[in-house]
Amino acid sequence: MNNEFETVIGLEVHVQLKTKSKIFCACSTEFACAPNTNICPICSAYPGVLPLFNKKVLELAVRTAVVLNCSVNDKIYFERKNYFYPDLPKAYQISQYKKPLGENGWLEISSGKKIGITRAHLEEDAGKLVHKQGYSLVDLNRTGIPLLEIVSEPDISDPQEAFDYLTYLKLILQYIEVSDCDMEKGFLRCDANISTRKKGEKQLGVKVELKNMNSFRGVRDALFYEEKRQREVLSSGGKIFQETRLWDVDKSKTIVMRTKEEAHDYRYFPEPDLLDFYVCNELIDAQLEFIPELPLSARSRLLGDYGLSEKDIDVLIANKSMLRFYEDVYNKADDKRKLTNWFLGPFLEQINNLPKGFSDVTISVDNFVKIVNYFCAGKINNVAAKKVLSESLTTDKDPDEIIKEKNLLQISGTNELECVVDRVISENSAAVGEYLNGADKAMQFLIGQVMKETKGKANPQVSRALIEEKIKK
Amino acid sequence: MDICFLTACELARKIRDEKLASADIFQSFSKRVLEYDKNINSFVECYDKPIYETKAGSSELCGVPIAIKNNICIEGREINCCSNILKGHVSAYDATVIKKIKSAGLNILGTTNMDEFAFGSSTETSAYGITCNPWDITRVPGGSSGGSAAAVAARLVPFALGSDTGGSIRQPASFCGVVGFKPSYGRVSRFGLVAFGSSLDQIGTLTRDFSDCADLLNIISGPDGFDATLADVKVPDFRQYLRKDFSGLTAGVPIEFFEEGINPQVKNAVEEAINLLKDNRVRIKPISLPHTKYSIATYYIIASSEASSNLQRFDGIRYGLRVASNNLDDIYKKTRQAGFGDEAKRRIFLGTYSLSSGYYDAYYMRALKVRRLIQEDFKNVFDDVDVIITPTSPTTAFKVGEKSDPLSMYLSDIYTISTNLAGLPAVSLPCGFDDQGLPIGMQFIGKSFHEGDIIRLGYSYQNLTEYNRKAPVLNYE
Repeated sequence: MNNEFETVIGLEVHVQLKTKSKIFCACSTEFACAPNTNICPICSAYPGVLPLFNKKVLELAVRTAVVLNCSVNDKIYFERKNYFYPDLPKAYQISQYKKPLGENGWLEISSGKKIGITRAHLEEDAGKLVHKQGYSLVDLNRTGIPLLEIVSEPDISDPQEAFDYLTYLKLILQYIEVSDCDMEKGFLRCDANISTRKKGEKQLGVKVELKNMNSFRGVRDALFYEEKRQREVLSSGGKIFQETRLWDVDKSKTIVMRTKEEAHDYRYFPEPDLLDFYVCNELIDAQLEFIPELPLSARSRLLGDYGLSEKDIDVLIANKSMLRFYEDVYNKADDKRKLTNWFLGPFLEQINNLPKGFSDVTISVDNFVKIVNYFCAGKINNVAAKKVLSESLTTDKDPDEIIKEKNLLQISGTNELECVVDRVISENSAAVGEYLNGADKAMQFLIGQVMKETKGKANPQVSRALIEEKIKK
Repeated sequence: MDICFLTACELARKIRDEKLASADIFQSFSKRVLEYDKNINSFVECYDKPIYETKAGSSELCGVPIAIKNNICIEGREINCCSNILKGHVSAYDATVIKKIKSAGLNILGTTNMDEFAFGSSTETSAYGITCNPWDITRVPGGSSGGSAAAVAARLVPFALGSDTGGSIRQPASFCGVVGFKPSYGRVSRFGLVAFGSSLDQIGTLTRDFSDCADLLNIISGPDGFDATLADVKVPDFRQYLRKDFSGLTAGVPIEFFEEGINPQVKNAVEEAINLLKDNRVRIKPISLPHTKYSIATYYIIASSEASSNLQRFDGIRYGLRVASNNLDDIYKKTRQAGFGDEAKRRIFLGTYSLSSGYYDAYYMRALKVRRLIQEDFKNVFDDVDVIITPTSPTTAFKVGEKSDPLSMYLSDIYTISTNLAGLPAVSLPCGFDDQGLPIGMQFIGKSFHEGDIIRLGYSYQNLTEYNRKAPVLNYE
């Protein structure tokens, strides 16, 4: 359907930069504090106050601009964006307009396509309105939290590609530690511009701005909806109007918020309360130090020697510290293949059950390797190894101590195991008979019984061999 | 001896010598305000007792009372900029200059009247009534720091702080016969001064002479870590310039400032003062500042643009006046309609228009370019001269209600505005009286961060003349 059209998408992403204090005052940026507790006369715009620029913000922004291959302007300044709204106490937002911090960059996404970055500019966040029945409350805790707005070129050609761009952008920002990018907390927000044109046409179609998407999936869904809507309007001979539309997640549709005629005149002009700032080479060089191997190059490296599938690699690179941890334990482990299996299997499973995932993990590389090596050497079995890991995962408790306390050393080839096997065989003659008649399942049952008797300490391979040996005798 | 006729330095000396107690001094001025200010209306609020305890001996001026223009924040006190929109608003913090004044041990006597948000040159736009000129109460004291100038002239307080965006300290100083000093932009922190034109505003002093001026500048100048536009330059001890010494000074006299529109008596008085300086071996050079004729137009675009943005925070949401409505846009409209006076509205319109898309390049952008030309004018001239001498205002104090059209009011700042556009230090000092007995002021403009030159010239001139020692007679019955 509608194959005569093509879609053009550009994204505007607002990222909250991870600083301890706000961009123009000393208030804390801590999330989820009681309303209006992280405020002062400056960020709540009392008469007579002046802004002071937090230089840490500049560092994080420069780091981001460099990673996005932007040229960083050596002189930067702020401008005022004027409009009235109760969450904006000065009735102007200090932002950058004519000359953004970074310009003309690009980001390569996992497909290998380069998406152009038009600009990356600094601004302050507004507060939050809480709407109640018949009135609204203002919370200014968020007012003045530093934001970097990253605007892409209209290079994105479909909703899925928009999703991929966002996913990779978020990953990179997390790698260079400029933002936590937690969309649920509003640390990352995305508006989208989408237009439709006939295939082969040079001129862009009329652009519609989409707002109010609060997840990457929401962005994709809204774009899918809007792509379809625009194509339908155009194929039936209608016109697209330049407007801003809101994504209604419950109804799965976009609705008009304001038309072009209602657009604001923000009356931008240079912020007279702040002087120009100069970005020197030393500042840029210092930020380069903070840029680690980026996910895509880690990806191609891992494809070589590690014997990992692409899917496994994507799991690993999704978290920079986890990837580093993986490589550290990989290098120290005796059996690399088993290490990888164990890492991607039981380890990830346990991490997924932690409230903050890998961030909660405190186990040291050495202790982790110890557990895996013990397991590979048959000193403890799989069940025991999982137990040890689970206890040491967030405590870094010495595995030797746990094994000793819980008496988890594997029983293999000892008299004790033989006695247990003898007892299991004599008590389960039915299963023995089935196995002898070729039912392999029965063997699993018998091993299970041995494990049960030994409280999980038996080595399953040794148990199997013993059972076979004794039955066939 | 009437305590209230002593200068701040004289009072301070008596306190140090234990001839006077600061509490008694405070009471004397407080009493005098009660007695005479009903006719002058220079104070918005006069405290009946000191609002904090002063630390003995913390500065040269410890224990001396001071008045503060009502656009500078004092913690726990009402700050309203003489506007209905802020009536009743109590400041949550001290401005940097107030912190410095408190730690210097000065006693704040009260806050002074001003044009609403400092928009005006006559103190007639105040929501607290007009202030009258103590030399003739049918006349204005000038503005916008008219309350501070009138109070100092009437000896209701030894000295006061004001703010100067286009002449708001110097023009009232000229009308009231006192010394009004505007430091270089970036010398005194603006933190806690309610913003009018952020790139032009500067806090300064209104005093009876240059000794008090130098001492007060010493207290209020310098960095605070809250104003990003403060210059990173060393603050000298301004007292070192208090010496009768004209040597080596070259003064430029801009021809453009003595041409059209100047009252002949003002012209004569300033020329006479220039001759006196010449007699005392100050080299006088005629100079030209060709772009100053654009300064009023340039100023009203830049200052109003900045003001329109600065005043947006008065929206009825968090503090000050709110006219209730169940519709957000109506809260904004009705609150601002009721809260701002005519002149404030005029400037908000003007500034909003200048910044609007489609007009920005023709107005705001072009004004910024002309501002640079005006700055260049001064820069070129200051290669040859150390100071510039001009009249402060084309006329002496005019009658209350006389200037009903805004443009003629704006013209009364024609000689002072260009120094704000260039960020230069300037002072107005008395240099004579007209045939009605009204004070005439003369302006000295210095190089950026060279306040010392104009203090030295002013101090030396005042040692040759008597104009600043004359006080108005306050018999208004």
